[in-house]
Amino acid sequence: MKERDKDVIICRCEEVRLQEIVKVIDEGAVTIAEVKRRTRAGMGLCQGRTCRQLIAQLISKHTGQALKDILPSTFRPPVRVVKIKTLGGEESCFLEKQK
Amino acid sequence: MLPRKAEVVVIGGGVIGSSIVYYLAMKGIKVVLLEKNGIASGTSSACDGVILLQSKKPGVHLKLALESAKKYRNLKNELNYDIEYRNNGGMVIIENNEELESMKIFVEKQKSIGLKVSLLDKDKAIEKEPALSHDILGSTFSPLDAQVNPMYLSFAFINSAKELGAEVYTHTEVTGIRLKSNKISSIETTRGEIETDIVINAAGVYAPEIGRMVDLDVPIIPRRGQLLVTESVPKILNGILISAKYIAAKFNPNLAESEGVGISIEQTANGNILIGSTREFVGFNKNVTPEGINDIAKHLIILFPQLKEINIIRTFAGLRPYTTDGLPILGKVDGIEGFIMAAGHEGDGIALSPITGDLIAELVVEDKTSIPLDEFKLERFYS
Repeated sequence: MKERDKDVIICRCEEVRLQEIVKVIDEGAVTIAEVKRRTRAGMGLCQGRTCRQLIAQLISKHTGQALKDILPSTFRPPVRVVKIKTLGGEESCFLEKQK
Repeated sequence: MLPRKAEVVVIGGGVIGSSIVYYLAMKGIKVVLLEKNGIASGTSSACDGVILLQSKKPGVHLKLALESAKKYRNLKNELNYDIEYRNNGGMVIIENNEELESMKIFVEKQKSIGLKVSLLDKDKAIEKEPALSHDILGSTFSPLDAQVNPMYLSFAFINSAKELGAEVYTHTEVTGIRLKSNKISSIETTRGEIETDIVINAAGVYAPEIGRMVDLDVPIIPRRGQLLVTESVPKILNGILISAKYIAAKFNPNLAESEGVGISIEQTANGNILIGSTREFVGFNKNVTPEGINDIAKHLIILFPQLKEINIIRTFAGLRPYTTDGLPILGKVDGIEGFIMAAGHEGDGIALSPITGDLIAELVVEDKTSIPLDEFKLERFYS
């Protein structure tokens, strides 16, 4: 990690910088989920759409694991942010099914 | 490489195992923790962080929780890690007369055990939590309820334990336990074998697998809880809240089926709101379901109409280590010298982790505990 790259933002939703990611990898994180739990990278609005791949590359680079062997994090609904009323209110997307 | 020997081996790097290694290391024990994935990678990262005293069964369960709550206040300073502990109290929301009558009885029982808790009318309840619906009947309030970040709590225990000399091996799976004339002799793992006299089974929903290695039947069943996470929003909740239905569902699985889940809700230090949770027996299935999400969202809107415009960014599910009587399994087991149980906390693991770690460390070092563990013995399920 070059000095000038330390503060590059890897997860823009949660504003997690390169040096924070590298630190937890050095401390033993070997999966994307482990990096996420320790730094919040991937916990924000976009749920890791941008940073997931970057973090996989960083883990690969720092641990020597092949990129294809790095465990992806779990994908969970919703694929896009959705209002609570859409999940449970009068405008619920589930209403059709319940009729 | 794994060490050849350890005084104590702890199996499981969730919040319970992490707490146990911390309290053992504090007592100067040479302890090794083995975790098949990462620290807090299972149940302890698929839950909320409420430290709820009001949901505990009045009796020895609540006593444990009260002792645990005391420890939390010290832990905040003891651990060199921000665990996002906040003690802002909690409420049980009451929606109808039936719930009011049963909560009156519940509160009196809790008071007799020593819990500070009172009943609030609707206006007082809304004064404390302005986001609440005006259609509620009232609530309870206890100033002792609190919140913590369960992942950070686990990491904090582990970091401090390591500083005190504990050794922690993640991505290391236990494959067998060797006995010599009914005494623990060594632990076999995917990365080698460790000699030890004492092993602690803190494997949560996987504790039965570890039990089978020594022909022990450990009746812990995974119970799925689905949760929703909102985007980060400015502070809108002051403390933690659960609906009275939650308490009913917790202690009566049939009610959970017929009356719906009853929600719990907290706003984390980061501003995300966590809303849980279903209680379902579906084996080790960790998927979320449209029905589960819909149930939680519907009930949330009834209790907090203002929140309906907030965005959900994620849903998730975790497995709680359920036992039929709602109590964890703690302590030595008959017939296998050196085998200690510390699992089966269902949804109370976060709240009970400090006291569990402390009591198990006492048991190892002093061979007795400051709170008797008789009611938590594994053998209660065999009679």
